[in-house]
Amino acid sequence: MKSLDPRITRWQVDESNRESLEKEHLDQLVTYEVFLQMKEGKAYEHVGIVHASDLDMAFLFAKEQYSRRYTCTGMWVVATEMVTVTEFTDLEENVYDSISTMAAEGNELQSYEVFHLTKRGKQHKHVGQVKAASPEHAQSEAKKHFDDGRPVLNVWVAPSNEFLFSKEEDKVIWSTLHEKTHRDVISYKAADKIKAFKERSQHG
Amino acid sequence: MYGGGNTFEATKFDNLAEEDPIKLDEFEARIARGEKIEPMDWMPALYRKQLIRMIEQHAHSEIIGALPEGTWITRAPGFKRKLALMAKVQDEVGHAQLLYSAAETLGKSREQMMQDLINGKSKYSNIFNYPAFTWADSAIISWLVDAGAIVNQLANSKGSYGPYCRALERICAEESFHLKYGHHAVIHLATGSKIQKDMVQDALNRWWPPMMHFFGPPDRVSVHTEVLTKWKVKMASNDEMRQQFLDMYVPKIWELGLKVPDPNLRKNEETRQWEYTEPDWEEFKRVINGDGPCNKERLAVRRTAEERGRWVRQAILVPKAKYVTPLA
Ligand SMILES: [Fe+2]
Ligand SMILES: [Fe+2]
Ligand SMILES: [Fe+2]
Repeated sequence: MKSLDPRITRWQVDESNRESLEKEHLDQLVTYEVFLQMKEGKAYEHVGIVHASDLDMAFLFAKEQYSRRYTCTGMWVVATEMVTVTEFTDLEENVYDSISTMAAEGNELQSYEVFHLTKRGKQHKHVGQVKAASPEHAQSEAKKHFDDGRPVLNVWVAPSNEFLFSKEEDKVIWSTLHEKTHRDVISYKAADKIKAFKERSQHG
Repeated sequence: MYGGGNTFEATKFDNLAEEDPIKLDEFEARIARGEKIEPMDWMPALYRKQLIRMIEQHAHSEIIGALPEGTWITRAPGFKRKLALMAKVQDEVGHAQLLYSAAETLGKSREQMMQDLINGKSKYSNIFNYPAFTWADSAIISWLVDAGAIVNQLANSKGSYGPYCRALERICAEESFHLKYGHHAVIHLATGSKIQKDMVQDALNRWWPPMMHFFGPPDRVSVHTEVLTKWKVKMASNDEMRQQFLDMYVPKIWELGLKVPDPNLRKNEETRQWEYTEPDWEEFKRVINGDGPCNKERLAVRRTAEERGRWVRQAILVPKAKYVTPLA
């Protein structure tokens, strides 16, 4: 195919192919939920998803997608499939009111990360960990530890060992961000140039 | 980048009668209170359908929009411009990722969206069916097309669907750099040598007609959108957005000594509205239906990328992985 774009000419794009394209199930892989810590000491907060085949790839993509332009101090990723979600309550109802307390059954206890949504339109925030035997038990433990009566609209729990957490020594991956000033608005001052141009035009 | 309202397709509202009236009331009351709708909430089928279409078209526009500017990365004048343009194009591709994700929360898979794009079943912003002949075209796109996109995206970011609004907030924060960078590049040319001035004026002449098409057909011929306005899916009318764009950018074009290629363009001080030569809506229709200078190329490039990348996706696929609709 001939194009104004030299890359496309080089690429030898075949424009004659008009067969309808069929993408297979899972062609775009599965999704991972991404959480960022914006400042030291702040709670990790959900920012969105990435598509990836495993945790390492998810972390890499998440770093590009969510911390490329604005820095952060930490990042977690976990497969969407691993997150157990409660009901979504309405208005000022507390979702914990509808979660019944239960005892641990049989299974060994493992650690779960717990996230709360407290305002519609905002993102889920990390509130802490619980030890539990199942996701339902984790919800019940979360009620015990994190329900302070204030309305929580939705709770997520996911097993801690399913996450990829950034480590202390990983933080250097965000340390060069401030050097990339070509992406800052401030690098593109226009007013002086326009003023000089107008003066030149008037006198000239 | 996405102009909004860019199709003539009619929306059928007759299926609203099939919705549960109590749930519909609650849904509308929530929107009226200014609360966001989240993926797990009940919503009318029409709301879901319209949002999927809109967000998906927006995502396609970002990914296709990266092509005309991407052309100029290797030929951008100087290291600084190369760095900036590369970062800008990367941002646009990132916007597509964010938007596809928001559309997925409504239940349409990414596979299906990409398939529909490549098979010509879903649209993208018509302006990207035009070529970027010179470096000045690339500068005009970064400045004015992004400016138009910002008008649209800022309006939509106040809409009712939570995941779309959150994606747009991120996107808008990144767009401000695109706009300033584009303006800076245009100023450089417009205040430069005679050759530079002519080059940027020619580019402006080429991009003005598609820019006037960008926000879609005039309100008087557009499909009625009262329900979509009430549901905060459509946040501003095509003409409102066009007027806002003209208000903000025509003076900035003029102050650089550039001429807008429309002898009838002027602001009517009584009505406070811009008057202009009616854009050629027949051309708009023709191009959006596939017969523009670059439609074939844009889709052929996407198709090639899909096909040539397939073995990589196959190689890393975990066959027992389970797809779950993303949460928020
Ligand atoms: Fe854009
Ligand atoms: Fe964009
Ligand atoms: Fe942009």
